[in-house]
Amino acid sequence: MNEQLTEQKKMEQDFSLNLDDVRPLRAEKKTFLGYFMPRRHSFVIFHPDRCTGCGTCEMICSTRNREKVAPASASVKVVRDEKGGKNFSILCQHCRKPLCVTACPTRAIERGDDGIVRIDRLFCTDCGLCAMACPAAAPIKDAGNQEIHKCDLCEGDPLCVKHCPEKALTFTRGKAFRWIKGLRWTSQLLSFLLLVMVFIGTFCYFKTGSVSFACPTGTLQNIASTGAIVLVGAASALALLFLTMVAGRLFCGWVCPFGFVLDLVDKIIPKRIGWPGFLKNRMTKYGVLAGAVGGSYAFGFQVFCTVCPIGTLCRSYGVQSMFKSAELAVIPVLASLDIGERRSWCRYFCPVGAVLGLTALLRIVKISIGATKCKKFSCIQCAEVCPVGIIDADKLREGVSPKIPMTECIMCVRCIDRCPYGAAKVRFRWQKAVPGEGRI
Amino acid sequence: MKDGKDKIDEAKRLSGADLCVECGRCVAACPMAEMYINFSNEMSPRGIIKKTLVGDPVIHDRNIWYCTECNAGTDTCPQGVSCRDLIRKLREAAMDENIMENAKTCKCCGRAFVAVPVEDFVFARLKEEPPNVFGLLDICPPCRREIYLQRNT
Repeated sequence: MNEQLTEQKKMEQDFSLNLDDVRPLRAEKKTFLGYFMPRRHSFVIFHPDRCTGCGTCEMICSTRNREKVAPASASVKVVRDEKGGKNFSILCQHCRKPLCVTACPTRAIERGDDGIVRIDRLFCTDCGLCAMACPAAAPIKDAGNQEIHKCDLCEGDPLCVKHCPEKALTFTRGKAFRWIKGLRWTSQLLSFLLLVMVFIGTFCYFKTGSVSFACPTGTLQNIASTGAIVLVGAASALALLFLTMVAGRLFCGWVCPFGFVLDLVDKIIPKRIGWPGFLKNRMTKYGVLAGAVGGSYAFGFQVFCTVCPIGTLCRSYGVQSMFKSAELAVIPVLASLDIGERRSWCRYFCPVGAVLGLTALLRIVKISIGATKCKKFSCIQCAEVCPVGIIDADKLREGVSPKIPMTECIMCVRCIDRCPYGAAKVRFRWQKAVPGEGRI
Repeated sequence: MKDGKDKIDEAKRLSGADLCVECGRCVAACPMAEMYINFSNEMSPRGIIKKTLVGDPVIHDRNIWYCTECNAGTDTCPQGVSCRDLIRKLREAAMDENIMENAKTCKCCGRAFVAVPVEDFVFARLKEEPPNVFGLLDICPPCRREIYLQRNT
């Protein structure tokens, strides 16, 4: 009897069809070519400062859905704030990882290869769970026949954009600078070869004729250990600081040889484990800097420079120093920190970065994420790609463009490189990239 | 204690539940079968229509709160019975009788906008996604649009 029952159950299991069997979730195709030439998706930009809240987009959209002008059955919703005089039209953002697809019980919503999220009317039961799951509640329930409508970009030719009288809606194909990546890697590779192999020890101190450069952190330690300020040495340290004052911590992202090693290590680490909260204090590096300077004062030699990964790298090349230096061991140790988070050393500990970070308080350029073009929760690629993790993904999920702390930013411009909408930009410090900077 | 008899009668009249022939097409189309493991005759549209017609105290029943108020049953019914409208009216009657434990209210406007079992289902689906930092499911969709407006202008 029991055997019969189990057999029956097994039969049921074998023959029962799940939703996964009938309509499996669509997997995103990854091609080799796509790495270099990602498919650009078209999208609608909304400019809140131009919108007057007239509702033309609603009306014209409803003609497509129901063949009559009825703003209640449109796929766009104009929200009006009479007190503040603000208007906003809620449009589907066509997320990269749509929550509505996850929530839909009948899998009626799919994201196509062209990046457009569509509702399949054959499967849709108009239950409205997609509107429940969407952060902006973009799928709209028709007040008349209770159908769910959602923007599908009119298959690449949106009516609302054509008919908006104030041009508050614009339609573009997006922008992705994938070539900056190549520039940065080239610059990093060249500076690695130059600093480590050609001009050995250049980074720490370098002199030809009357021109000299020096590492600012090393100079600070020099001053602390000897107690004497050599003007030539201090002036040569200013060269790097001057670059930082102009362009932020450009050195960390584009030149630093140890940063190049860390970027290479990032490529081979399959999965990161993350650090506990007490380690994740970005102020630690200023503590390390103070400790290095204080230690130099106490012991009379440059304490940090003996273990400095950048200096170690710069001094390591050549048969003589390669075999002599046991200090080379510091490089794999510090590089292995990357299993926790990308560029952990640069984020939390590097005193060279600390000096540059303090200098970057005086920088004249910034990176800003423009509010109108940024698609907030639907994309979040900039936060994923940022090696120092300063772009706040939670802020983006809330629908707010985050402010980037420039003392931490290493100016690698990966965010600008990746942003498919052209929202991340380099701007002057005093420029307002967006109305209500930071909030928007 | 009338248990909202008038309301139930009105719901029957408006949704045309008297015309039900118990063919079960609405059960076949119902997405609740996919959504809940414990889907049964008790919570299916046919079962609820039958209970309403027989005169059970349906408004005290938890089973009326599983429905997502979709169009599937209404569209397929050969008799034109709208199980969606019936369940809506039954829920209204239940809320008039102050049976609120299964109705979720919006944090901003206080409107009852979704039933708790449906919300649980959505929450279970979204659990694997990145955390919803601003309490997505506590706010009804129109209020969410308002918040989005305030954050972006």
